[in-house]
Parts: sequence; structure tokens; C-alpha cells
Amino acid sequence: MNYFPDEVIEHVFDFVTSHKDRHSISLVCKSWFKIERYSRQNVFIGNCYAINPERLLRRFPCFKSLTLKGKPHFADFNLVPHGWGGFVQPWIEALARSRVGLEELRLKRMVVTDESLELLSRSFVNFKSLVLVSCEGFSTDGLASIASNCRHLQDLDLQENEIDDHRGQWLSCFPETYTSLVTLNFACLEGETNLVALERLVARSPNLRSLKLNRAVPLDALARLMACAPQIVDLGVGSYEDEQDSESCLKLQAAIRKCTSLRSLSGFLEAAPHCLSAFHPVCHNLTSLNLSYAAEIHGSHLIKLIEHCKKLQRIGDKGLEVVASTCKELQELRVFPTDLQGGGNTAVTEDGLVAISAGCPKLHSILYFCQQMTNAALITVAKNCPNFIRFRLCILEPHKPDHVTSQPLDEGFGAIVQACKNLKRLSVSGLLTDQVFLYIGMYATELEMLSIAFAGDTDKGMLYVLNGCKKMRKLEIRDSPFGDAALLADVNKYETMRSLWMSSCEVTLGGCKRLARKAPWLNVEIINENDNNRMEENGYEGRQKVDKLYLYRTVVGTRVDAPPFVWIL
Amino acid sequence: MEGCPRSRETCPKLLDLIPQERKWYHNEEKNNSDQEKKLELRLAPPGGDEEDLSAMKKTNLDTRNNIKKEAEDKPIFNLSGNHFSPSNKTTYAPPHISHKRTAPGPVVGWPPVRSFRKNLASSSSSKLGNDQINKSGEGEKQVEPKRDGMFVKINMDSVPIGRKVDLNAYSTYEQLSFAVDKLFRGLLAAQRDASGGEGEEKPIIGLLNGKGEFTLTYEDNEGDKMLVGDVPWQMFVSSVKRLRVIKSSEISSALKFGCSKQEKMRN
Repeated sequence: MNYFPDEVIEHVFDFVTSHKDRHSISLVCKSWFKIERYSRQNVFIGNCYAINPERLLRRFPCFKSLTLKGKPHFADFNLVPHGWGGFVQPWIEALARSRVGLEELRLKRMVVTDESLELLSRSFVNFKSLVLVSCEGFSTDGLASIASNCRHLQDLDLQENEIDDHRGQWLSCFPETYTSLVTLNFACLEGETNLVALERLVARSPNLRSLKLNRAVPLDALARLMACAPQIVDLGVGSYEDEQDSESCLKLQAAIRKCTSLRSLSGFLEAAPHCLSAFHPVCHNLTSLNLSYAAEIHGSHLIKLIEHCKKLQRIGDKGLEVVASTCKELQELRVFPTDLQGGGNTAVTEDGLVAISAGCPKLHSILYFCQQMTNAALITVAKNCPNFIRFRLCILEPHKPDHVTSQPLDEGFGAIVQACKNLKRLSVSGLLTDQVFLYIGMYATELEMLSIAFAGDTDKGMLYVLNGCKKMRKLEIRDSPFGDAALLADVNKYETMRSLWMSSCEVTLGGCKRLARKAPWLNVEIINENDNNRMEENGYEGRQKVDKLYLYRTVVGTRVDAPPFVWIL
Repeated sequence: MEGCPRSRETCPKLLDLIPQERKWYHNEEKNNSDQEKKLELRLAPPGGDEEDLSAMKKTNLDTRNNIKKEAEDKPIFNLSGNHFSPSNKTTYAPPHISHKRTAPGPVVGWPPVRSFRKNLASSSSSKLGNDQINKSGEGEKQVEPKRDGMFVKINMDSVPIGRKVDLNAYSTYEQLSFAVDKLFRGLLAAQRDASGGEGEEKPIIGLLNGKGEFTLTYEDNEGDKMLVGDVPWQMFVSSVKRLRVIKSSEISSALKFGCSKQEKMRN
């Protein structure tokens, strides 16, 4: 390959897009490292504290797209105190100072401020795409800056963020000359929306493909919007209340009929179920249906809707047997609990899961909350669907055994990892002993992310996983009896992983200190929100149990923005 | 929640934990010896004890034929034959039992569902609750099932940092009012201290009757700003999206400002 001029090699590299592959390319030889560096377009940083912006820019001076992730996953469930970190401001400042032509920024679980958004909007002339997932710290004022200043913006995608809605006029901040909108998702905004500005924006956006509305967009407005945008592919419905106005419903039906490109439907944040029939004409084309926000839709309405959706590939809902019999193409399924207290006639059990696995052989990703489970069911599921890439099962009650045999669910999960050779992500629950971790260590060779809660008996459980799963990247454990012995057994393992989270386990301060000494290339963070007596007090030091431990590999040492309740050893 | 055996036990002492643990499975009599056998350290060849574990026969797997993986060198992997069979367990009785989950009360961050989904679940069930109440004509009688936390944001004028409050922890406006006082008294004093005023902590009172320095308002599910206290508590909980403590002197201006905005948007 050295006989080719660099431009030719670079052109070949352009066809290689996955991060893993580009990383492999860069390791081949010095010359390839250099070429790859300068031609890298997309950079993915899974932990914003593993590296800093300066080093990023030194290595990749010409990138266009940056993905950054901040807080650990368990932050979604309120286990990480407010103020822990994940600030995007230093990154944007550094990028703005440099000459990088940033076009896309994708952030997950980061703290974003209006100031950051304003700086972002003013610093990058060709900025095209902003995707914020599970972020917080900003308001609609920040959105107004983006709208006003980003002339070439195509995507503004806000997924499940906490945004302070000042109910301002951010939508009307898009200039009248602005026509390049492709994706607009503001479903997570809580306040009122300027409907006039929204309609005018949609009307002048011929390239609009994805539109997800918030709950403040009523039925008649929806009808008008869809009439303006029949080319839409992905729609998130906002409010869907049945106003007495049947004329709106008719208008909506007429508009929907024209949306022949519609493939994905979601939202229904305030849904009156009997209006769902307006969507039946387009259901046969749907490949993705997400009703997880639609608290009001039950039973028969759901069934009728799904019965029309023969091509469904992605679904999040509550009516499972219908899904199993109708949706043969189904690939992804998420079943969320409606009744968190348990029991009731809407209880989801192992029967639903077995039915789905039998009816949908292409299923590869599932998130399933349920009241109860059996080993037999899991073994059947493993046999029916050996193609799982993501398998997340959450039995609502911790430590719950197989409800028929009262045994732990070790065998069931063992069958899953044994059969599903491509399994990359696994969440386990129910009553589990060390045995299940032995199975996971033995069979889950491709596993990259594992979530453990209320499981295991001894350190051996964790050791099985650390020793066995060579591709492990993220391990998160809560309320399980793993302690210092497991933590310290193989310190070098953590260099091959992105991060480890352990909360309410048996690790002690002494153990964590030892780990930090052995591995200076790790940031070992102790998060102790409630602890007023500082853990440095002598006497209790070594044996004191650590409430929350978060460790991750890094090349830039201790971070400087840690709040007082985070102690980095 | 019924069905969780641990709720029946009081927190056991460390020394008693090992024998007591056996009782935490359902069919104690049948499975006791099975459990003990399972937890014994084993070096026997595979298939040794299968006949004893009748319950395990349900998990008869064809996968035994597929086992290719070799035993690793590390001592913990010294399973004879790596048999995918429950009889071959090498786990041993743990030297100590660490955590005990006795009462199945609310555990932080469990189930692993995002807060807004919990709110969806509880708001839909509370709406159902309201319908039932209206039908039976019981007026304000509350029949509410125990729910997980319903956390809403609460901000206070002149305090830059907000808090979150769990509305399911209260059942009257008075209780909520006390909670607001508890949450913000210190922050407000600190704020006043920092801006050069007096820093002593004064109780925050009169939130509901308009007589205090501050008044409690909320934003409902339609986006409207409302005064707290007009409707029955349950109705309030089912429609509230966030809370705001505003200076009582600003009430009239807040109402004016809100009105003109709404008029603008309807055009």
C-alpha cells in the first residue's frame, strides 16, 4: 500500500466509517496513522473524562462530527447526584478557539447551558446537526440562539432532555429565509408552543423528514402540519385529545392519507384512544411504533392499531400477543411497566415474552419489564430467538425467584447467554446466585455492557464476569455482595473497559485506595452525597464501605471540575 | 409487595444469617437439602448428583452437546468438564451474607425506569382514580393506591437553584407548604446573605393564603400558571407539572404577563 499516493489511500479510508475499523486502520503503520488522523470525520468519545479537548484536537484536527457522553448510565435512575459533572462548556470553548469546522454535535447525559448553546451557534458556520439525549441545564433561550444563528441547520433533535421551558418564541427565531430543516424533535418541551411559528416553519421546510411534537400541539394544528408536510417519514404526535371538533378529525384523516412515506410513529402524549383509527390507513407501512409515552391507550384500541401494522420492526407498547401474531418483521421491542406496584390485570408476565419470541424470530433487541419470570420461559425464549444482541429483563421485585419452582433464575439467563452468541448488552434481574455469572463469563464472549442489580452471593460472581467477558466495556452493579477481593483481583482489566460502576456493594474505602495506587491511569471516584463526616477521618478509614464507586480509564488524569461530594482517589 | 419472602423476616444478625437464609425460598421443605447441596464445594465429575435435584430436571438442556469452551487456568474456573448442568456448582456457602433487603419499600432508582415514565404511570392511574371518585359520589374522599415517587421541580424566585419534591409523599396542601419551607428556608437565607442582606433563617409561611411574602403557584399539564389550593389535592397532583414559589407582590404582574402571551399565541 505504500506505493499508492496518500490521496488514494485516503479515498479508500473514506469508505471505512465505523469507529472500531478506523481505529484498527490507525494501528497498522505510521503512515496510515497519519493519513487516518487527518481524514477522520466522526469522533466518538464514550466518556468525556477519558480525554480532553486539547488532545482530541491534536490527534484529529479535521473532524466534523463529535459524539460525547457524560454521566454514567445509572444517572438515569437518580443514582448520580446533581452536579456530578459532564459539562460540555469546556469542550465547546476549546473547539470554538480552534479552527475545526464542526458540523454535528451529539451529546448524551451531559450538562449543557444556554451559554454553551449560544457559543456553539456563533462559532461554527457550517453547523448542521444538534442531537441532545438525556441532557439538562439549558432552556428554550439556548434553543433560540441555535435557531437564530445556525443558517445551515438541518437537525435539531431533543430526546428526553430536561429543558427549562420559558415558553418564549424560540420557534419564531428561525429566520424566514431558513428552509433547510430536516429533523425537528421537541417532544420533551413541557410548555406551550407557538403554533403559528411552527406551521410557518414546517411549510417552508420541503426537506423535513422527521417531526416530533410536544404535548402542546393539538389535533387541529396537527392536521394543518401534516397537510404542509406530506413527505414526512417519522412523526411524533403531541396532543391527541378528542376535541368535539369532528371536522379536525376528518381533516387529519385526509392529511394522513397523503403521507405515504410515513414509516415511524411515536408520541401520543395526551392521547384519546378512539382517534387512533385516523392512522390506520398508514399502519401497513410502519416499521417503527413507539407508544411508550401514551399512558392513556389501553387494550382494544392498541390491538386494533397494531393489527394494521404488518411491517413493524420497532415497537414499544403494552399489548403483546397481538404483536406476536401480527408483526413478523419485529426487531426491537420495549415493554414498560404501567403499574409499578405489581399485580392488577395489566400485569406483564413471562407468557408475553415467550409469545413474542415465538412469533417474532427476527427480534434482536428487547427491554422487558415484568412481574414474574421462570427459567423454563427463558430457556424457550433462548431457543426461539438466538439472535439477541440486546437482552434486558427487569423483574420488578428484587430477588424474585422462578415463580413456579422457586429456584434462582441462573439457568434461564444461562440459556440466554449460551444460545445468543452475538449478545452485546445484558441486564439481569430476579433471584440470582454466583452461578449465573459463571455462565455469563463462560458464554457471553461478545458482551460489552452488563447491568447487575440485587444479584450474586460472593466475590466469585464478579470475578467470573471480569475474567470471562473479554469484550466487556461497561459494567454497572448495584446492591450486590461484591467487595474488595473482586475489585482488586485484576487491575489491568479496567484498562480494557470504559468504566465500572458499583453502588451499595461491599467495596471499602481501603480497597478503593489500593486500586487507585495500583492503577494511576484510572480515575477512581467515590461519590458520597450524604456523607457529612468526611471519609478521611482516621480510624474508620479502611473498613468504611463506599456507597458509590465509579471508575474509568483516562489519559488525562484527575478531572478538575469535580464537585465537593466526589472524591477522586 | 406480597410474595417477597424477606419482608416477613426481621433483619437477621450476622451469625444467624447462613442457616436462616435457607428459609427465604418458597418450598422450604422440599428444597432445603437441594440448596445445601448446591452450595457445597464440588470437585466431582459432571452429572454426579443429578438424580437428587428433581426440580432441576425441568432445565434439561440440549446444550450439553455444544460445549466447546475449555476450562481456563485461573483457579475459579476449575470446573470439571464445564458441564452446563446445575449439579456441577462450585459455589460454596458464602462466608458472610452482606446485604439484606427486608422491607420491599421504595428503593432509590428501582425499578430502573426514568422519572418521566414513572410520572406517566402514576398520572394515568391517578386520572383513573379521579373518575372512580366522581362516579361513586364520594366527593373528596381519597382512595389512592400506594405509588412510587412523583417528583416535580420546584423553583423559588431569587433562588437560582431549584429543588425537586415528591408529591406522593404528601396528601394535603398544608404538608406541601411545610415541605416547601423546609426545602427553601436555608437556601433563601443563604441567598439573602450573599446579596448583602440579613442571613438569618426565617420560616416561609403564608404560601397558600396570599398573606405571606411568597405564594405557591404551579404549572399544569396544559401549560397554564395556576394558584395552588383551589382544587382537591388529588386533582392537583394529577395535573401539576412543576411548582414555583413567587413573591406575592408579583402576582398581579405575573397574571398580566401570562394573559397577553396566551392571546398572542391564539392568533
